[in-house]
Amino acid sequence: MRALIAIAQKDLRLLFRDKGDVFFTFVFPVILAVFFGFVFGGGGGASRIDLALVVESDTPMAAGMAADLTADPSFEVVRHDSRETAIAAVRVGKATAAVILPASMKEGVEGLFTGSGIPIQAIVDPSRKAEMGLIQGKLNELAFRQFPRLFADGEAMPRILARAREALPSMQGLTPTQRLTAGGLIMAGEAFSKSLAPSPAPAPGSTDAAPADPAVDAAAPAPAAAPATATTAWSPIAVTIEELPQTRVRPRSSFDVTFPQGTVWGLAGCIGAFAAGLVVERSRGTLARLHLAPIARWQLLGGKGLACFTVAMIVQVLLAAVAVVAFGSSIAQPAMLLVAFAASAVCFSGLAMLLAALCRTEAEANGAGRGAILILAMIGGGTIPLFFMPPFLRTISYGSPFRWAVTAIEGAFWRDLAVADQIVPILVLLGLGIGGFLLGARAVGRPLVR
Amino acid sequence: MLTLHAIRKQFGPTVAVDGLSLEVGAGEVFGLLGPNGAGKSTTIAIATGLLAPDSGGVDILGLGSPTARAVRAHLGLAPQEITLYGELTARENLMFFARLYRVRDARRRVDELLASVELDVRANDRVAAFSGGMKRRLNLAAALVHDPKVVLLDEPTAGVDPQSRARILELVRELAREGRTIVYTTHYMEEAARICDRVCIVDHGRMLDLGTVSGLIARHGGQTAVTVERDGSEERVLTTDPVGEVSRQLATGGVTGVRVERPDLETVFLSLTGRSLRE
Repeated sequence: MRALIAIAQKDLRLLFRDKGDVFFTFVFPVILAVFFGFVFGGGGGASRIDLALVVESDTPMAAGMAADLTADPSFEVVRHDSRETAIAAVRVGKATAAVILPASMKEGVEGLFTGSGIPIQAIVDPSRKAEMGLIQGKLNELAFRQFPRLFADGEAMPRILARAREALPSMQGLTPTQRLTAGGLIMAGEAFSKSLAPSPAPAPGSTDAAPADPAVDAAAPAPAAAPATATTAWSPIAVTIEELPQTRVRPRSSFDVTFPQGTVWGLAGCIGAFAAGLVVERSRGTLARLHLAPIARWQLLGGKGLACFTVAMIVQVLLAAVAVVAFGSSIAQPAMLLVAFAASAVCFSGLAMLLAALCRTEAEANGAGRGAILILAMIGGGTIPLFFMPPFLRTISYGSPFRWAVTAIEGAFWRDLAVADQIVPILVLLGLGIGGFLLGARAVGRPLVR
Repeated sequence: MLTLHAIRKQFGPTVAVDGLSLEVGAGEVFGLLGPNGAGKSTTIAIATGLLAPDSGGVDILGLGSPTARAVRAHLGLAPQEITLYGELTARENLMFFARLYRVRDARRRVDELLASVELDVRANDRVAAFSGGMKRRLNLAAALVHDPKVVLLDEPTAGVDPQSRARILELVRELAREGRTIVYTTHYMEEAARICDRVCIVDHGRMLDLGTVSGLIARHGGQTAVTVERDGSEERVLTTDPVGEVSRQLATGGVTGVRVERPDLETVFLSLTGRSLRE
């Protein structure tokens, strides 16, 4: 029995002295569980849909709708001043949809019972089709939620009802019963509106501020182009959902989205292998032998970096080639994609050098080092697309170089972003790569560490 | 020629090398001996420019410090560790180092070296599959691929079989005959006595003595012990004239056996560095 316990104690001691084993046995499972818990909405951190909101209408309904959208727990709303910036946000993946409350809402409100509905537009990222239905439903719900306020508006409502009453005789396609019912409803609405309206001082010469009075109606703000056009079906809200227009390509299939994500794992494997290889060279003494050769330090470190860069490029090009050849993906901007690949390769070559400098032993490189890479890859969108993540995880993901790689590659692969939109991720990747290389090279470049 | 001028290196509170000065000439095999932690490997690292001394300097062939690339081209180092790539073949390893040193006609040079360390038949096998002795021989070959004038060998025979050791020692002597400067560290005293022209014994980073093996034995070895067996008992006599002593003992008669124990380099080593265990 003593021997058995001694063997068990020894094995446990060995396990706890290997940082890699400790990490993968105890820490990594916890991180995985927490990560996926948050991703699937645990802990109250349910994923929210990013909306870019443009309010062009100055109607109270638009203001109410904007406020309700912002307060809705399903959405993370960012206000934009123009359609262009909102659509650009969708194009670069910062928002799932651009929601536009157009100036024509005013006409829609004025012609509430006679027009084709209060217009609300949404322009959705074509890669987020799954969320289109939810966005449409939510926009309808929130629009209808404005109606009590609208009906209680003692100024606008009588005018709207008067217009409806005017238009009723010319409406086509209504059965006599429907026409009668509509008339009754309008009258009821007018009565309701009057009961809510504050008692205005009667106008001189008038006994009532009846909105039906043509004189009063004419004095009201011009309902402009809200012609009481005849319509066959009444629809008070008209939510239009469009997919983001792409200049050249759009994702033909999910593979267009998943292959750029796949590069995360290719790059993760690359950085892990090269960092561990460098640590092995240092710990086994071959690096010292290389330092002894009559070559400059930059040549030695550059050679190491070049090998990592080459493998990273091959991995990415290979993945893109498989996506195109085997799965029919089309590359929107081949030249920019190569630039994105190159920036990613620079980034991860530099980070491999930094990781090699941080890990003292092979065990550390293979354990803690690779573990850190796995976590960064997960956070950066390697396992779960970024848009499925809760907002705080998405914010954290900015700290992962993998996120920037995915953003840069997607931009050229299928999002067809303008060059200006791709500059930021490419510069971030280059910055991380060069910074990591310089920091790492200081330690790795030292011939002997004692 | 390799010259160390009063080099000193300290790691935290530990003084690894303490004002060591040496001069090793061309065609000489110079033994650097000392217990573990004496500062031998640190001295080698400083001599090759891999480690900067806190003070003092190194000169290689009168060309200056080994930190200069042009000077390093004349240095060959076979480190204590097997510094080879296990996943590459023997030939690929040597070709890689040959390219690094821009060796002309590298293929021919590599073939020569593989033959000289008797690995030509295993040239295309991966190093990971080699025995310890084969790896050691290849490790030495990698240090020689660029035909260096100064060669530093840090325990090149550690853990090898007698055949590999014999071949390595032969090679070292050949290198010296070719006029190269050889610095050799080892824990095997008989090996040092066999191939070193001069030996320096260091401990705690300091030189304890320096000279030829016979000179060191004469200075620190003490007297020869002559043990005589007679009537089932042994008598041990210390003498500076063992031949005379044996003759005298035999003349007295009744001698059934004689054993002569001459002092050797190990006696000198233990005499200078003491018998206490090291790290």
